[in-house]
Amino acid sequence: MIEVTGLTMRYGEALAVDDLTFVVKPGLVTGFLGVNGAGKSTTMRVILGLEAPDSGTALVGGRPYGSLKEPMREVGALLDAGAVHGGRTAAAHLWCLARSNGIGRGRVGEVLEQVGLAEVAGRRIAGFSLGMRQRLGVAAALLGDPGVLMFDEPVNGLDPEGIRWIRELMRLLAGEGRTVLVSSHLMGEMALTADHVVVIGRGRLIADTTMSEMLERFQRGVLVRAAAQRTLADVLRVDGASVCEEDGGLSVSGLSATRIGELALSRGIALSELTPRSASLEEAFMELTEESVEFGAGRAA
Amino acid sequence: MIDAIVSEWLKLRSLRSNLYLLAFSVLAVLLCAGLAFMVSRSFDNQAGDERLVFTSIGAGLGAGLPVAYFVMAALGALSITSEHATGLIRTSLVAVPRRQLFLFAKIPALAAVTLVAGEVLVFAMHVAAQAVLGDRAGQVLLDGRTLGVSLTDPGVAAELLVAGAVMPLVAMVGLGLGAVIRSTAGSLVALIMVLFVLPVVAQTLPSPWRSRIGSFMVENLPNQIVAGDGPGILPPLAALALLLAYPVVALTAGAVAIAVRGRGIRPLVVGGLLAALLAAVTAIPSSAAASALSWKACGGDLECASVQVPVNWSKPSGRKISIRIARLPATGTHRRIGAVFTVPGGPGGSGIDDLKKSGGNFTQLRQQFDVITLEPRNTTDLGVIPFDCFATGAWITVPDNRPEYDRLAAKNRQYAEQCRKADPEYFDNLDSGSVARDIEAIRVALGEEKLSFLATSYGGVVATTYARLFPGAVRAVYVDGGVDHLADHATDLRMRYAAIEGQFTRLSAWCASSDACALRGRDVGAVWRDLTAAADRSPVPVKETQVAYSGFDFKVAAAPDVISPGPAPDFPNWQRFARVVDQAVKGDASGFADYVEQATKSKKVPSFRGMDATHCTDGLGFASYEEFQQVKALDQQLSPNFAGNELWHPLGCVGWPAPVTNPAKPLPADRLPPFLGAGTWTDHADVADTVSRVPGSSTVRYNGSGHGLYLTGNQCTISYANRYLTFLRLPAKGTVCEPPTIK
Repeated sequence: MIEVTGLTMRYGEALAVDDLTFVVKPGLVTGFLGVNGAGKSTTMRVILGLEAPDSGTALVGGRPYGSLKEPMREVGALLDAGAVHGGRTAAAHLWCLARSNGIGRGRVGEVLEQVGLAEVAGRRIAGFSLGMRQRLGVAAALLGDPGVLMFDEPVNGLDPEGIRWIRELMRLLAGEGRTVLVSSHLMGEMALTADHVVVIGRGRLIADTTMSEMLERFQRGVLVRAAAQRTLADVLRVDGASVCEEDGGLSVSGLSATRIGELALSRGIALSELTPRSASLEEAFMELTEESVEFGAGRAA
Repeated sequence: MIDAIVSEWLKLRSLRSNLYLLAFSVLAVLLCAGLAFMVSRSFDNQAGDERLVFTSIGAGLGAGLPVAYFVMAALGALSITSEHATGLIRTSLVAVPRRQLFLFAKIPALAAVTLVAGEVLVFAMHVAAQAVLGDRAGQVLLDGRTLGVSLTDPGVAAELLVAGAVMPLVAMVGLGLGAVIRSTAGSLVALIMVLFVLPVVAQTLPSPWRSRIGSFMVENLPNQIVAGDGPGILPPLAALALLLAYPVVALTAGAVAIAVRGRGIRPLVVGGLLAALLAAVTAIPSSAAASALSWKACGGDLECASVQVPVNWSKPSGRKISIRIARLPATGTHRRIGAVFTVPGGPGGSGIDDLKKSGGNFTQLRQQFDVITLEPRNTTDLGVIPFDCFATGAWITVPDNRPEYDRLAAKNRQYAEQCRKADPEYFDNLDSGSVARDIEAIRVALGEEKLSFLATSYGGVVATTYARLFPGAVRAVYVDGGVDHLADHATDLRMRYAAIEGQFTRLSAWCASSDACALRGRDVGAVWRDLTAAADRSPVPVKETQVAYSGFDFKVAAAPDVISPGPAPDFPNWQRFARVVDQAVKGDASGFADYVEQATKSKKVPSFRGMDATHCTDGLGFASYEEFQQVKALDQQLSPNFAGNELWHPLGCVGWPAPVTNPAKPLPADRLPPFLGAGTWTDHADVADTVSRVPGSSTVRYNGSGHGLYLTGNQCTISYANRYLTFLRLPAKGTVCEPPTIK
């Protein structure tokens, strides 16, 4: 459980996090969404005690991170896969970290096995690809077998196989009852992983909701193709839908796909396609965060 | 805490680059050996006194120590800057969120590694340098140091241990700086500034800032901590405090810098207090003398002041006189040890005149001492008793019987009274005991805990008297050509006659081989013995005067020339001796009379009342007629060529009106440090006898003529004297100084 309450964080004049409040519950994968510069990393850094907030609190399991005696046993975090010394071997790197929290050497081998780096345990990190470093970062987060896990943009640099692996890993970890917070600026990625989303823009909370609610909220009508397309359009309009032609088919909003199907059947109109459409998650995300994007150019990032 | 510390040990160990960095410190050993090689080469290219002016390389760490420190400090800096550079710091701080704990957890591993590496390194550096230096290391230099030092020399092992133990501290400095600067390059530049550039800059400062600021440099601290003989003015405790202050300040800055925003106050306060405490220890005034004297420049580097003392020390509240003192102040390049007190000879000489003339010989000594001297109350030209009275006196004859002895007494008394009437109380208190008590009053006025003496000629009597009266205030006594107050008449006679007969033999040898000798080709000994024996029967007249020279008169007049031939290779005094003897043999003593008159305004050598006033009260005279008879009987057997000559001084005291107030008494040897003596062919025996009164003492024998080696600038002797006065290290028994070779 992560509790963020009234968190405010300034860098000089700039307000990085603005009165942010949310809770990350165990047993779920919580996506932490926002465009670059929205304050995700800052928030995560505050949760991990790397920054001191101007006001508000961030608690992990009810306590400030800084007061944890062996924090890696409670929280595992992957903030930056590059935050390693290239001169050490993977095993040495993990062993140094493990030892600082009184974690036994056996865990080093276990987590390396778990992330698929067992074969390169003795190699210096300098020779690792970005994907290998991400796996190593995940391994470090898992060392203490913690109840809370935080990953900042974990799929960066991973190949498709790696991306699938990390999705499954997060689902697995949540399935074990752990609290999992994953930040991303890619909404689509989150849709495949997260149960719950916390969306922030310009440091403020924009949405804190389940993934299904999120999807529903951005329903974008139904695409219908039929032989008697005009007739069907009139029928649907009578039933209160708004219909417009699109790409040789009908774009229908105001009626569910089920209702459209029933109406077509009652008139004996054969349907060749009936597709409920959501807005693309990316579009939805843009919509949500539009007003909060500070610089237009940030959108492209 | 332990977990974090062990983790940091693993971090340190798991980077190969750290091992490479440590291996780089071998450079320090090579530098030390290289410097020793350079020094050895130029040393071998020099000879004689030129070798004395080399600068000691001490334990040999000089060249390599900053490099070694740099490597260790770099290791410390890298342990944190590499985390910043790679970003590992974020991972580390998530693992160990208590930041100061994280920073300080690096200390034990760093300290352990750098301590072990540092000690090994420092000893290797020393051994390498000394191995290259070889036997040259033992050469005593003008400043009293030796070219190199061995591990068995006092303080050397301690200095090496401390220098090694400094490695962890400089590693902490590196760690602290690294935590502040964060960038590896920036930290290394800062360390280069602290360890290499600052000391060089300090060297370019004008004196005394050069040594003051130089004393604060890390590389100069180990030597100061063990009170070694290297440069630096800090007392050991202050040097230690400063050494600790370096890492404390750096780590405080590091702890503040690494703190989460707004949490830096506590480390700042704790570290600041600690640093202030250490600074306070550094700033505690050293045992510098707190003196109430007001010094005024009095020519050159010399400063003068005066001290009030009672005329009669047995009546301390009685009449006072003012004694002039002078000092050549310490130049402040090294830790000040105290005051060297130079005591002039005579009796009747002025120490201030000595320093005016020979102050340059004290350059090395002044690195660590104020050189103090006085114009003693018995200085001939002081003026309380008229100079003309002091500088003349009765002509002495050797009594053959009691009535003659009594007549001599009456004559001496009459002469003495002529001076005494000017100021009887003063005249009666010109003994060396009074001078010694004056010096004690000066010591108190200076605020010095102890004095180190450099006593020349008759100053030896004053110094040994001081040592007897105030043994607790004596740090060292160097007796240079000192008159032996402590030997009995018989011993004294044997030594003095051996000395003058030795010189007479050398004179004869010279005469046989030198065209400059008027007696060349003749048996000088026979000529001289015939002359003096005949003159004792029938005195040789001085032409155109009523004066005639007895054999005794000839001896008294000739002895100074025989003893002191004058500068080689001409030996002008021996030439003169041969000339005037040649003339006297022909029946005219005016050659003698002329030069005696030139020096004394008297046709025969007078018994100088100024000297007698001290000699006689110091008990150099005969206690009785019976003692005189005994001494005279011995006297006649000891010297074929100069029998009677040594009776001249004591006979001046027969009938002396002032009582013996400072008779020779044994020294409290168990409460005195060993002495050092130095003497020429004619002085060495007396000096050796004097210093033998204190066990463990030693001497330097100068293989040549002369009198007073330090003041006349004999560099070999000065080097041993400086070694003794500075480090209380005595030369081995039988140490000889050869005269400088003439180019």
